[in-house]
Amino acid sequence: MILPFRRALRGLREHTYLAMVNTGVITAAIVLLGVYALVVVNLQAVVSGWQHDVHVSAYFENSVSAEDQAASRVELAGRAEVKAVELVTHEMAAAWMRERMPEVGPMLDELGEEALPASLEVTLNDGHTSPAAMDTFAASLRETGRFSEVDYGREWVERAAGFLRTLTLLGAVLGVILIGAALFLVGNTIHLVVYARRDELEILRLVGATDGYIVTPFVIEGALEGLVGSVLALVALELVHQGVMSKLHEAVPLTFDNEGFRFLPGGLLVGLVLVAVGTGVLAAFVAVRRFLRRLA
Amino acid sequence: MIRLYHIVKSYAERDALRDVSVHVEKGEMVYITGPSGAGKSTMLKLLYGAERPTSGKMLLGGVDVSKMSTQQLPALRRNMGVVFQDFKLLPHRSVAENVAMALEVIGAPDDSIRRRVPAVLNIVGLKGREDDLTGVLSGGEKQRVAIARAIVNDPAILLADEPTGNLDGAMAVEVMEILQAINLRGTTVLVATHDVGLMDRFPYRKLRFVDGRLVGGAAPKGGRG
Repeated sequence: MILPFRRALRGLREHTYLAMVNTGVITAAIVLLGVYALVVVNLQAVVSGWQHDVHVSAYFENSVSAEDQAASRVELAGRAEVKAVELVTHEMAAAWMRERMPEVGPMLDELGEEALPASLEVTLNDGHTSPAAMDTFAASLRETGRFSEVDYGREWVERAAGFLRTLTLLGAVLGVILIGAALFLVGNTIHLVVYARRDELEILRLVGATDGYIVTPFVIEGALEGLVGSVLALVALELVHQGVMSKLHEAVPLTFDNEGFRFLPGGLLVGLVLVAVGTGVLAAFVAVRRFLRRLA
Repeated sequence: MIRLYHIVKSYAERDALRDVSVHVEKGEMVYITGPSGAGKSTMLKLLYGAERPTSGKMLLGGVDVSKMSTQQLPALRRNMGVVFQDFKLLPHRSVAENVAMALEVIGAPDDSIRRRVPAVLNIVGLKGREDDLTGVLSGGEKQRVAIARAIVNDPAILLADEPTGNLDGAMAVEVMEILQAINLRGTTVLVATHDVGLMDRFPYRKLRFVDGRLVGGAAPKGGRG
């Protein structure tokens, strides 16, 4: 096993420029895939965050006393699907309205602060934010007869869920296309590089080398180029993530979850490295075998 | 050593070899000659397995190579040296590295390679030139490196396709002297050439081809053919 590695290293040393071209193309392909994955992962996080941020606003009937309102809050806080619940009294609602919309102040003075109903602002636990689960939760509130209206933006929740589904599907389709394009690009480059070394292949054939003897070092070279190319690509992606994208995030405060603009998860990073190594190996194997078939 | 029976090699447009039957004895040195396009190179390509005959039978050392599979070709070539007009060397590798390729392929150990490469370079007159890059050598020196690579495994047969075609007169004579010396060590040597002067100076049996047909020298003197 030592000789093929020795020959692979000699090949890389003798054809440093060609090896750099291969590595560069693999790096570019993985950066392309990685940027795309970065966008998809973060878009999914954003949309998923929208779903998790959905609140249920339950407005009390005017007939419900302050004591009953407080009791309702305690009762809801004890339910398994509820993450947090906050009681917003008439006064708090009026104060909020005056702060956000000062122009309605005179109207509130005239109507009295009780014009705005008291409400419970409910945040649900993960797993209870699907449209169906929220429908069930809202219906259970209505059944108590204490609330005049239960609002949770059903349409918004459905849109977010639909958008996430579309995004996931689109992500998978575009991902496959991108991987195909990357394979094509790397495969053709390695094919040209093998062609540039055709004299070596021809001589090896003439002196009685078997296909395995000829192909193995090229495959090792392909694997090493894939490994180095992917590591360089991941470093570049991390720099992009930390630098440009973080600044973009600061400049345009989007609705990210608590983790902020996240990097690719570990599994995906390993996957990108494996795609790069696999591409290098496969492209080298196919290119050399194709060339050897022509040589006879 | 080499027996060809009714060999035909056809391409789409023409027949390169037509009903060629040849017998070459072990240890013989033979020229393959004739005008351009007569079939000299095709004959050699058939012998080292780069081409397959359309019909006919080829025996090398008693083995029918006309039916050899692609997987069996490396074994055939390890017992055969081939030299070309354009040398087929890797210019960015040293003389020793180029010669050692033929030994690495058969899995020769490093110490054996270190011993045999200088020895064979001594035979072709390149003693002490192991570390020179072949890209900077003269044509004659390059051909000597190619010959060294071809004989480093002590092959039974050495094929040379116009080995002096790119060399001037003096260098061509030197290369022929080396081939002659290799033949005297027992190797069967076939040289494709149309250099009449060299053939006169180094007289051996001539297999004369015209338009794909063998028109002279099919059997060794006194042989059955």
